[in-house]
Amino acid sequence: MLIDVHAHWGPWFFSMEVGPIEVNLELMDRFGIDLQLVSSIEGIVYDAPAGNRALAEQLPADDRLRGMLVIDPRRLDEARTDLRDLVVGNSRWVGAKIHTEYSRTPIATPAMQAAIELTTEYGLPTLVHTWGDTVLDLADLAARVPESRLIAGHMGAGAWRQVPEAARRAGNLWFEPCWSAPDADRIRWILDRIGPTRLMFGTDATLIDPSVALGALTAAALTPTESEAVRWQNATTLFAL
Amino acid sequence: MTDAPLLLDCDILVGHDVTTGRWSRPERVQEVFAGTGISGGLVSSLRAVHFDVPSGNDEARVVAEGNGWTSCPVLDLRDPLGAERELDRLLSSERPAGIRLAPTAQAVEPSYPSFGHVARLVVAAGLTLFVEGDVRVVGPALRDLGARVVFLDTHFYYLGDFVLLARAEPGFHTSTRMLTGPDSLEIVAAEVGAGRLVFGTRTPFHETYSVLGRLLSSKLTPAEIAQVGSAFLTKLLEP
Repeated sequence: MLIDVHAHWGPWFFSMEVGPIEVNLELMDRFGIDLQLVSSIEGIVYDAPAGNRALAEQLPADDRLRGMLVIDPRRLDEARTDLRDLVVGNSRWVGAKIHTEYSRTPIATPAMQAAIELTTEYGLPTLVHTWGDTVLDLADLAARVPESRLIAGHMGAGAWRQVPEAARRAGNLWFEPCWSAPDADRIRWILDRIGPTRLMFGTDATLIDPSVALGALTAAALTPTESEAVRWQNATTLFAL
Repeated sequence: MTDAPLLLDCDILVGHDVTTGRWSRPERVQEVFAGTGISGGLVSSLRAVHFDVPSGNDEARVVAEGNGWTSCPVLDLRDPLGAERELDRLLSSERPAGIRLAPTAQAVEPSYPSFGHVARLVVAAGLTLFVEGDVRVVGPALRDLGARVVFLDTHFYYLGDFVLLARAEPGFHTSTRMLTGPDSLEIVAAEVGAGRLVFGTRTPFHETYSVLGRLLSSKLTPAEIAQVGSAFLTKLLEP
């Protein structure tokens, strides 16, 4: 079993052709991904409500797809509408996604805390883009909203050595390590310090090829217990999949 | 994945990465290569990048000889006069396989006189350049020289910029290390030919398994994968 908790649907503005949902499905087929939690690129980089509604039309394309509702912390009234219209009563939507850079809302701001309080009100685990030391900001936010369940997308990328400290600051924070330019040996180093229950598999597909995240798992030489936890168990528990 | 072909890495480093505090020991590179099936490749010294070129290049040569790898000397862009002397020293013994430049690590902009001067020296010597840095920034500075170049830090976000450069420069190549989008390698192959791709991992600092997995699971033909894995690099090292 393999669950990808960090994936996207839609076209990117880079020189790549990955927009159609068929790209998601083909990558899942090739790399043995059983479930993929996707958020809309349009929602992340341009218009959250429009992107969420566009994704809602794509989710029926394949039983392996689950939705992550994009929240723009600057548009929380519309986010509440999206939650009511799309998520409540629909088991295909399993979490929320906030990209703090595209929404120009730093993690340590009141607007971001209000966004997390909203997703927590609706019971949604929330994947937040973290880059650099913002992974510590997310840990502090998780501690301030103790009922929240947050996932540090990219787990800080180049600041991955901060993960043990982030894990210490907040027990309601999980980590997802996808990165287009991964440093060597991150996964093993982190597992040895925080254990297997806080890390989960993500790819950033269709932006990044799943082989990159899978290669990082191979390099980590996971034990059977670690492998099950990271590849699917932690995600199943957190997202009630 | 296809069966693994012969693999040579164009981007091995040994020494101290002063930006992160991590060290690369040859023994660790050997471990990673044993796990990934990489046979060897081009090794450069971080001592040469960050501190002292002659002793660093000598270190790389010793490491290469001891492991069956090939050394890739560095020239210091902060010292173009010293670069002249070091290139003379290198050429006075065995012909180097190529020359590595690290403009970002050495805080040298490609617009500085030093960068162009050193690049022209290397081209005049008939050697391939292995160049770190943002391809959008360093690429234009290497146009119109007739240079053979492998850009070591091409990220797939800037793939379009590389293709534009490569269309006009038949000697421009790119490492596969950060071409990690689902169609990055395939776009390069379609636009300018798979012959512009050179397998590079920056072992042991970068996640070698990820770079290898991307190549072996790509939609390039098995023949192209084999060529990207080693043959194109070997060709670039020929006089």
